[in-house]
Amino acid sequence: MKHTLEMKNIVKRFPGVVANDHASFTIQAGQIHALVGENGAGKSTLMQILYGFHSMDSGEIFIDGQLIRLGGPKDAIALGIGMVHQEFMLVPTFSVVENIVLGLGAGAGAMLDLARASSRIRDLSDRYGLALDPSAKVGALPIGVQQRVEILKLVYRDARLLILDEPTSVLTAGEKDRLFAVLRELGRSGCSIVIVTHKLNEIMELADRVTVMRDGRTLGTKSISSTSQQELAQLMVGRAVQLHAVKPNRDLGEPILRVEELCVADDSDVEKVHRVTLEVRAGEIFGIAGVDGNGQSELAEAILHLRKAKSGRIFLAGADVTRMSVGERRARGVAYVPADRRGVGSVTEMTVADNAVLGLQRRYRRGPFRSARDARHAADRLAERFGVRGAGIDSPAGKLSGGNLQKLIIGRELTCGACMLIVEQPTRGLDVGAVESLWKELLLARQEGKAVLLISTEMEELLNLSDRIAVLFNGRILGVFDAPFGSVDQIGLLMAGIAPSGPSSPWPRPGTRT
Amino acid sequence: MAAPGNPNVTKLFERRLTPADSPLAVAGTTALAVCVAMGIAAIFFHHYGASPVQAYFGLFHEPFGTLHGFGYALVRAAPLALVALGTIVSWRSGFYYLGFEGCFVIGAAAVGWMSLATPRGPHLGPLFLPLAILLSLTVGGLWAGLVAFVRVRLGGNEVLISLMSNYVARFFLQYLVSGPLRAPGSLPETSVLPHDTWLPFLVPGTRGHAGILIAVAAALLVWALLQKLPLGYELIVTGFNPAAARYAGIEVGRRMMLAGFFAGGLGALAGMVEVLGSQHRLMDGISGNMGFVGIIVALLSRLNPLATVPIALVYGGMSVGADAMQRRAAIPSSITFLLESLAILLVLASDIFRFYRLNFTFLTRFKWRVSPGEDSA
Repeated sequence: MKHTLEMKNIVKRFPGVVANDHASFTIQAGQIHALVGENGAGKSTLMQILYGFHSMDSGEIFIDGQLIRLGGPKDAIALGIGMVHQEFMLVPTFSVVENIVLGLGAGAGAMLDLARASSRIRDLSDRYGLALDPSAKVGALPIGVQQRVEILKLVYRDARLLILDEPTSVLTAGEKDRLFAVLRELGRSGCSIVIVTHKLNEIMELADRVTVMRDGRTLGTKSISSTSQQELAQLMVGRAVQLHAVKPNRDLGEPILRVEELCVADDSDVEKVHRVTLEVRAGEIFGIAGVDGNGQSELAEAILHLRKAKSGRIFLAGADVTRMSVGERRARGVAYVPADRRGVGSVTEMTVADNAVLGLQRRYRRGPFRSARDARHAADRLAERFGVRGAGIDSPAGKLSGGNLQKLIIGRELTCGACMLIVEQPTRGLDVGAVESLWKELLLARQEGKAVLLISTEMEELLNLSDRIAVLFNGRILGVFDAPFGSVDQIGLLMAGIAPSGPSSPWPRPGTRT
Repeated sequence: MAAPGNPNVTKLFERRLTPADSPLAVAGTTALAVCVAMGIAAIFFHHYGASPVQAYFGLFHEPFGTLHGFGYALVRAAPLALVALGTIVSWRSGFYYLGFEGCFVIGAAAVGWMSLATPRGPHLGPLFLPLAILLSLTVGGLWAGLVAFVRVRLGGNEVLISLMSNYVARFFLQYLVSGPLRAPGSLPETSVLPHDTWLPFLVPGTRGHAGILIAVAAALLVWALLQKLPLGYELIVTGFNPAAARYAGIEVGRRMMLAGFFAGGLGALAGMVEVLGSQHRLMDGISGNMGFVGIIVALLSRLNPLATVPIALVYGGMSVGADAMQRRAAIPSSITFLLESLAILLVLASDIFRFYRLNFTFLTRFKWRVSPGEDSA
């Protein structure tokens, strides 16, 4: 079989780190190749070199045995290499066809020939089962369909190698299956596909071969049939990993958080949370399942008062906090790990030590003065207990990778003595090793009698950690399930907004199964 | 941003992912920028037949080589440093206030009025200065705090409002000195303030007054506020990232208004120092643009409060030197403004160099790389 693409001895240095240390790997034509590794293992850098985004310090790239040079993404796409980024690069007010021909001279001279482009899009879309309507406005399409637009954009440009960076992180289970079918079809037609991901179960389901990276090095490539999730996890982390959380039994304590008939609007005054009622008790992890953008963030923000509630009431340990400020709620024991780590959860320009006391700045002081020493001690403790690596406590927090920054934020919020912990997408983008230790910490918080509201799009995470799971769809709670969760399919259906047959009450009492 | 061409080629300038931010790198680029500015300005000296070395010697000898000139440098530096400190407090809190001219004038007017209106008598002596400081802090704080209030509560643009408010303050002072507070005589100005309300002179025989001590004290206080107090931490978080500040339980709006209050107070204090220390009377144009030049001093200090006093001293000293140069060698002092402006531009632009790494291997590669293997590349 012909080698479609080979990367050999790629070295890339960034200030203070070697991102790629003689990394090599080979993708064969028509195969789906997974690239896995912990945060900061160098996967993204390697792919960004392949896509022409970064230059390499040394190394060689061959296509079909020919040495190639990449000066930028334009060179890469000319060679048939394209990348689907985690954040889509689409113009929401343009139609599918307009987005796809954007940047291409489609048609004669200065005029766009959209009709011809549309018919080609329809052909390609039929061939690969993308089911795209060229005239649809991109902004109105669900996220999974937008992703297929991104894929079609590359296929339209005759890409023979598609790189997908964490493609499933924003998808529902159904959309994910759809994506995988498309990718398999593309593979059958001779395209090579590289998937950069953390999710081992998806690799096992989809990929033909897998390459593991650690510390900038490629540890080797295995065919999927000859490996297992356990083995891959071990290779990634360099030690044995417990992929399933052990959740000890625990009696529920007092109700800590009670939300009654809460309605919250987003910035453009669209109601994103509609009459949500829920109760989280001490020693309980209450999971909120749902696809991104169904009101989870607004709900969390309203509980901390980062966003005003339109109506409804919020009680904390029995006291009505509806009218209290963020500071007052924090003082009463609400901690929050936001999904937006760099935009909300941290101040990237300030040092790691300063970030370790964010929200606690009035607590770390000696007399009237801030105690820099105490803040540094706090940062040291967090770094040690939660494994924050990659930057010293005196360097800007922005230098930390996403996973390490998240460990810092979670550590800070977990150890600040709060009784109510709101955790939003805690492990998004984190590697198995980090996920394992964060799960442990969350369960430890539960054991300590904290109430945890866990908002996640990861079913596995919710199933492993939660005592109860509520499904949020379109700002409404469609159902609440008690552990052990027998009917995972039902949760999935509700997440997609498909109500189960039979009468369902919007708020089933705890203990009932919907 | 992709590097064009062959990625394996060593480039003379390689882009860094994060700027080099060691003190040495910052000082190095700043010094380099000042040298380049002086080099360019030397061309203009040349026109007047002066050798650049002599010209620069003259420029710095007067303010830093003579006691008399140094006194003047102190006089110029004190209000500049105070305005710079106000800039630092507000800008680091994310409140981009530009109304220091107005604060300056308001502070000067309030203190000038207080000085003229205070009944004579020995009993007030030691109390006058603290009261004047309090008065200027209050009026300046309220003046700028109003802009902050509009920004925070009504969503106004603080840059525009504060710039416009400068005119209001200036015309108000014009009204005062040509109307209610006008001294008998031809010029629209007040009579000389009573001697016992002046700031004391520091060194006999020079004009250097105690204003510089006020500036030093203010610099230390602002530094302590920003670096040592939880309140300062909250201000800085607010400035960097309001969303994170809100998340941390910080009342962003209140903090910003407080920053505006401090900034205005410091601006007005600059006006007080000028009127009690140097001018000793109120007149139109008393601010002499110091409300803007002080912002430049803050920028050159890279918003570090402790750097404001030395930099204000250099800046003030250069203007003293320029005046002397004009008097003696008939070299127009506008050349010095040119030099100052160039220095500001280049110092601020020099930041870009901290994003690049100089590859010295590039310079030697021509010797190294002449090998047969390179021909194919």
